[in-house]
Amino acid sequence: MRGFRELNPAVIAVYYLCVIGTAMFIMHPVIITLSLVGAVTLYITIDKKRKAGLHISFFLLFLILAVINPIWYHNGVTVLFVVNDSPITLEALLYGVFAAAMIISVLYRFRTFSMIMTADKLMYIFGKLSPKISLILSMALRYIPLMRKQTEKVRSTQKALGIYRGDNIADTLKGEIRIFSIMATWSLENGIITADSMEARGYGAQRRTSFSLFRLKVSDAVFLVLCLIPTAIVITAAVMGETDMTYYPALSAVTASPPALASYISYGILSFLPSILEWKEVLRWKYLISKI
Amino acid sequence: MEILNIKDLSFTYPLAASPALRDISFSVNEGEFIALCGATGSGKSTLLRMLKPELSPLGEKSGSISFKARPIDTAKPSETGFVMQDPDHQIVTDKVWHELAFGLENMGMPHSAIARKTAEMASYFGIEDKFESSISELSGGQKQLINLAAVMVTEPELLILDEPTAQLDPITASELINTVKKINRDLSLTVIIAEHRLEEVIPICDKLLVIENGTVLAFGKPEDVLKQLYGYSEIMCGMPAAARISALLGENECALSVTQGRELVRKYGNEKELPENKSDNNSKRNAALAFRDVYFRYERTAPDILKGSSFEVYENEIFCILGGNGSGKTTALSCASGILRPYSGNIYVFGKKIRDYKNQSLYNECLALLPQDIMTVFLRNTVREELDDAGADISSLPFDLTPHLGKHPYDLSGGERQLAALAKVLALKPKLLLLDEPTKGLDAAAKQRIISLLRKLTADGMTIVTVTHDVEFAAECADRCALFFRGEIVSTAPPDEFFSENSFYTTAASRITRGHFRRAVTAQKAAELCKLNGLKEACV
Repeated sequence: MRGFRELNPAVIAVYYLCVIGTAMFIMHPVIITLSLVGAVTLYITIDKKRKAGLHISFFLLFLILAVINPIWYHNGVTVLFVVNDSPITLEALLYGVFAAAMIISVLYRFRTFSMIMTADKLMYIFGKLSPKISLILSMALRYIPLMRKQTEKVRSTQKALGIYRGDNIADTLKGEIRIFSIMATWSLENGIITADSMEARGYGAQRRTSFSLFRLKVSDAVFLVLCLIPTAIVITAAVMGETDMTYYPALSAVTASPPALASYISYGILSFLPSILEWKEVLRWKYLISKI
Repeated sequence: MEILNIKDLSFTYPLAASPALRDISFSVNEGEFIALCGATGSGKSTLLRMLKPELSPLGEKSGSISFKARPIDTAKPSETGFVMQDPDHQIVTDKVWHELAFGLENMGMPHSAIARKTAEMASYFGIEDKFESSISELSGGQKQLINLAAVMVTEPELLILDEPTAQLDPITASELINTVKKINRDLSLTVIIAEHRLEEVIPICDKLLVIENGTVLAFGKPEDVLKQLYGYSEIMCGMPAAARISALLGENECALSVTQGRELVRKYGNEKELPENKSDNNSKRNAALAFRDVYFRYERTAPDILKGSSFEVYENEIFCILGGNGSGKTTALSCASGILRPYSGNIYVFGKKIRDYKNQSLYNECLALLPQDIMTVFLRNTVREELDDAGADISSLPFDLTPHLGKHPYDLSGGERQLAALAKVLALKPKLLLLDEPTKGLDAAAKQRIISLLRKLTADGMTIVTVTHDVEFAAECADRCALFFRGEIVSTAPPDEFFSENSFYTTAASRITRGHFRRAVTAQKAAELCKLNGLKEACV
């Protein structure tokens, strides 16, 4: 099997749907802890820059989110202390901490998602949904840098001609407006060439297919199974009420029934699966090199 | 086998007074390489577009075009390929692989077939390493190669190219033409190519089609066609040097390649030489532009683009800077115009340091730069507004723009556009004019007009520095030429000396006469020397 990042983009998208979807709707301490630790581990595994900035800002956000709940909600039987005649309760604090942990874990997941899903992978997924959207996106991605470059060229030409870049703001502004208007003309003018080129190559002559460099391989299918089975177990346990948790007025005990235990283990697998795949790749190389 | 047959084709654009094409008839056999030439506006593009149904303009059409013995309208898009001039805007998508797949996707091909064909094309064109690259990372030549590959991927039986090399430098242009020839030979693919760069195309084409004012002037084997055209100087001036020498001498057999040209001039004696026009170059002249040990780089960690470059341009001269891609020519020009600032060394404009020109005074009746992409000069909707904005006096221009004043600058042809841009620049009354590739995309006649205009401007007291790839242009127009190599100027000399000392980086005429005549760097001079010396006795 390949590393997590090399999997088919559609499979990666399904994974994120599963792991985030389940974490967001199950407010259970064990699940949330597994989710947070799994998300942070994956981020650390694939982040090459190793900067602490993101972790610090996420930690501060975590503290703020965790504190907000007990300040506003005073439900709960265990009063820790009283501020301005309002009781701060243990139940509200714990609820705040777990809700914050859930949000932060989802933020870490999104972070790794955007690191893994480059523009061409996203386009592949859009292409699966609608080939038209994917072509439009591809054309836009081609066009934006082209237009930016041309605008820069026009600006420096006009500077060297010394016509609009005066010393007063009015003149500069006038020049900028002119540049903007000519860029609109330029876009239309060149759009005609692009349209000609598309038509000359048979665009619109018949139903198109959408080609991509990504293909479904056996490892993608294996991963999909490894991802969907635990998700199914977690959802079943949740529907059965095995992972229900009451915070107010008093905390309920964490259940350890067989379905609940199965659900914890399943979510653990789901949460750590990408990191495990990535580590396995690293180890495989180390092993191969030591053999040489 | 006949693949294309055109009979009495006439075409008139809607609302046009006269037809764009008139009674055109010719036929093309499978596997032929046809070069199409004619001045700008002669109807080349219209004719080529008539051969590609998806691109055919609307208008009144008579006569017939049959492709594989069927009317051309029934041809599928994949059967004919069309490559246009602009490398950038023909490209539809953002990735190389997607561009190659685009035509196949349009045909509704299954995934596995597209994967195979794109892979095949990428390896045939040698772009495997660029397969997953973004288009924006590629050079103009690579983009045009992608365009060619993207058209070839649908296996067309007729390949049409409309000035595919106009935006490329000579080296990449000749690579592209050779690639087209290779496809033509390997696959027996029929090719019709419209070109200005005839030095490369004529020796390798099977047939030459010359059109003028929408009618066929001549069609046939290139040597026969050229012989018929000896009298048409407008068309002959764009032909290969060997053919021009043949025409000037009125030879019976028209030479096409350098080899044939060398055979031709060797028939003539070489005792006499042209009188050298000694100019007083040695007298002290003032420098209009001087570089002193200029170093420039784009970023702190990037390599130097200019490496201690030092040179002087004298007043009232045309100074041509030649050199390969990435040698720093354009960067030097940008530094001279004050757009870029060197990190070390000084640039003097009329004896004053460039950074001592404050508040736009550098651009005020002093210096102006015309960039390579001439479209970037224009900001308004008509040429008239453009010139009014710049404060140009239309009546005092050294050329006539009145027929074009009402047009949008983008609607002008390449040569007209260059003149309109020059008019805008001349309004600023610069004493030093910097030009970046002024002949890019121009046909031979337009080039001649630019040359005579530049000569006139220097005679009126202007100093001109041009950066160019075009050796023929430099040989005809420069007072001094300089070779830029790895960020500095390695040699400077008057064109006669400069091009006769170089053996590769030189004009075709110089390659033809090398070892026989001295300093014959233009076809004109070579022919004059031939006439002066006369035929050798053995050849009379």
